[in-house]
Amino acid sequence: MNPLIAADLLAPNLGLIVWITFTFLALLFVLKKYAWGPITTALAEREERITESMEQADRALSEAKKLQADNTKARKEAEAEGQRLIREAREAADRLRSEEIANTKTQILTLQEQAKQEIERERDSALDSLRLEVADLAINAAEKILNENLDESRQKKIVADFLSTLSKN
Amino acid sequence: MKLQKQNLLAILTLSSLLVVPAREGFAMQDAEQHAEEQEVGNIAAEAEDHAAEEEQLDPVHHGSDSYYLDFTPIGKLQLPRIFLVRGNDGSFGVEVYRSTDSAIDRGGYLPKMEEGVHSVLDAKLEPDNGHILIDFSLTKHLIFAWLSALIVAFIFIRLARMYQRGIGRETPPKGLFQNMFESLVMYIRDEIAVPVLGAKSDKYLPYLLSVFFFILTCNLLGLIPFGATATANLMVTAVLASFTFILTQIGGTRDYWKHIFWPPDAPVFVKLILIPVEIMGLFTKPFALAIRLFANMTAGHLVILSLIGLIFAFTNLFGPIVGFGVVPISVGFALFINLLELLIATIQAYVFTMLSALFINMAVEEHHQHVPDHRESDLGRLVEAAVPVESLTS
Repeated sequence: MNPLIAADLLAPNLGLIVWITFTFLALLFVLKKYAWGPITTALAEREERITESMEQADRALSEAKKLQADNTKARKEAEAEGQRLIREAREAADRLRSEEIANTKTQILTLQEQAKQEIERERDSALDSLRLEVADLAINAAEKILNENLDESRQKKIVADFLSTLSKN
Repeated sequence: MKLQKQNLLAILTLSSLLVVPAREGFAMQDAEQHAEEQEVGNIAAEAEDHAAEEEQLDPVHHGSDSYYLDFTPIGKLQLPRIFLVRGNDGSFGVEVYRSTDSAIDRGGYLPKMEEGVHSVLDAKLEPDNGHILIDFSLTKHLIFAWLSALIVAFIFIRLARMYQRGIGRETPPKGLFQNMFESLVMYIRDEIAVPVLGAKSDKYLPYLLSVFFFILTCNLLGLIPFGATATANLMVTAVLASFTFILTQIGGTRDYWKHIFWPPDAPVFVKLILIPVEIMGLFTKPFALAIRLFANMTAGHLVILSLIGLIFAFTNLFGPIVGFGVVPISVGFALFINLLELLIATIQAYVFTMLSALFINMAVEEHHQHVPDHRESDLGRLVEAAVPVESLTS
């Protein structure tokens, strides 16, 4: 290999340096203005859009989940409420019925009591009037039988004795 | 005048140039007249003309820059020559010629046939009156750098249009084209720019993306037949490294400069040692960037061409039968190296971008009171991860 030609590889070439400098500057300018600008902004825009959509989706999902949870909770609450209402109604009905029964019982008892008292009272009054009637009858009868002068204290004593035997019956 | 190459590409490249008419005039007009006469059959004649030079395969010569596009065995397409000339009378002028041959025949330039130079196309030219100040001639590597720039611009402006139409911005990205290049752009952004530069990544992302795709395209163009690797030229890689260097220095914070010119946490006599080291460090970083890319891209081609060259070496030494026997081995190895180069083309573009980002970050990041231990930090790990890559082709 000839050393002179080998030196070719490293030979300085000012003209080429100038050409390449302008070429690369022009390329840099053209690409920056017409290529990298639109491309990088578009990519950034798209990334932002994707991030935004994903966030939105996440938000929507969590919202939906929350809504679902709310719904489930509301349904459960409604169910519990219904159960409670039914139970309360049943309890109220039970209470009402037992109260009714108790009322009726007491009423019956009161009526029975009243009736008993009435009967007692009627019986007493009947006995009283009977006793008076009997006394009158006895007196009348005694007067008729003993039309003689029997003193009054003696009469009364006889009657009282008679009556006491009556009342024992 | 020798045979003139007439080609659409030459006209295109010439017409796109901003040309100041030279004191000796424009060589173009005569050239066009001749061109029509010689349009037919010139490629074959050209091939014959230079056939003698092609008997020896010279890998270094193949890899180095030239003033023609090498389509051997079809022919060579000479590129326009542009010279900034200073005449003997002290006048300045820009001279433009359609080709090297035209410069010699029309412009009166003399090729200096030094030792080892087999063709006038590779020779240094000297004007008959005065001397060349700067040689602005288009070269093979420049053409391929332009091609890369055009490809990159075409791809990414098309990609940007898709986003502007709403595809990929409001809808998912569509199709192979968009998905493929978007993933690359995203990779540079999310794996290089953002982790290294953090909040300042937005500012430097356009540069990192441009430099990555430009280098990658340059590297890959070298792998196609008749292609050339612009990044296998030290001038090209030096310019790219200079961009990183300039961006680094422009973005440098107070802390960054303070660390260079008055490193904290060190005794004064250590500082006096450190300052020159730090100043050297400023330049070694872009220097390493330039050399790494250049060496990696050159080395792969040298290895491939050397392997192919084995065929001819064995033919010369042991005769054609042995030469043919070597063919499968040589081609097999060359194929392997070619595939390895495909990997290296990508890795080197990545490494250049990653290191650029790291160097820029070292200057622009808000330092805390002392420099963090690089082995502990993320940056240190990234640097270490990048180091073995360099040794792949060496």
